[in-house]
Amino acid sequence: MNITEVSGQKAIPVIVQRVEPTDFKSITKKQFFFRWDQLKADADIYKLTLEDRPVILGLIALVDVPAEYRIEIKLISVSKENSGRLKKHEGIAGCLIAHAAKIALRKYYGLACVSLTPKTELRSHYIKKYGMTTAGQQVYAEYEVLRELIKTYDI
Amino acid sequence: MSLKKLLKEYTLEEIAESLMIPAKLTVKQQEQANRDLATARKKSQAALTEEQKIELDVLQLRFQLEDYLKDSYNPALNFGHFLERYLTIIHKKKKEFAQEIQIHETLLSHLVNNRREPNDSIIIRLEIHSNKIIPAIYWYKLAEKAKEHQIRTDNSLRDKERPYVTHILQMTA
Repeated sequence: MNITEVSGQKAIPVIVQRVEPTDFKSITKKQFFFRWDQLKADADIYKLTLEDRPVILGLIALVDVPAEYRIEIKLISVSKENSGRLKKHEGIAGCLIAHAAKIALRKYYGLACVSLTPKTELRSHYIKKYGMTTAGQQVYAEYEVLRELIKTYDI
Repeated sequence: MSLKKLLKEYTLEEIAESLMIPAKLTVKQQEQANRDLATARKKSQAALTEEQKIELDVLQLRFQLEDYLKDSYNPALNFGHFLERYLTIIHKKKKEFAQEIQIHETLLSHLVNNRREPNDSIIIRLEIHSNKIIPAIYWYKLAEKAKEHQIRTDNSLRDKERPYVTHILQMTA
């Protein structure tokens, strides 16, 4: 998986793995906008780090809904340094969503689905940027969109 | 953090790029949202086409390859093994596949039987053939894994090469 350095447009290898209990010391609200420790009982939390340095650049919280062959994205945060006009890297959120796509496809094959319930103001972003479909309050992606997410962000 | 607070520092676009802020729904609203999603999915979940089934199997092969690359070396899971699995999944005979990636059928046979190592061109052609579902770097790492094991464990090659080294660094005790 690669993200892109904004200044030189260089590809930077990254990995996504489960958050360790000790990571929560560095996952502060100031850095990641939310109290991530409050989610650890209800969701699987994954971190995106540089391949060669354990600096956390982004987080995603996922909940498995086996009855519906679905992985639900509860929350995503990109670190403060990588948000807004002055961000250092691009593609962090995309890589995290592609990771959710991989989990869903590994587990649920052709029936896989990734869904999220973003605030109304943010919904169109997921439709436009990642090709998701709207279904009432939620937006979701199924096989073909999940495959494209993997091909785009995990090459 | 609330959207209102974030909008003081970032544009809506910048927020959407970096954060997925969940809508706050009541239990009733959440249940309705789940019902809406299930209805929408029923409409879109038509039976998979034969082409999609093949793609999905290639994706599963990619995931197996990905797992193996993180795992320890297994001589049975070599380049030839995964290449042969790829051919089986896509229902191609060696002759037809060799034509599709424009290599000689004998070379393809040698690759499947692990009698030749793949060069960079073949690895890239495999990525292109799979429509990027299996990245070239996976094929490369697979071939490297076997090479790494061979270099680490080949004592007969060490014995063969030793006479060619005329001086060995002396280490202090």
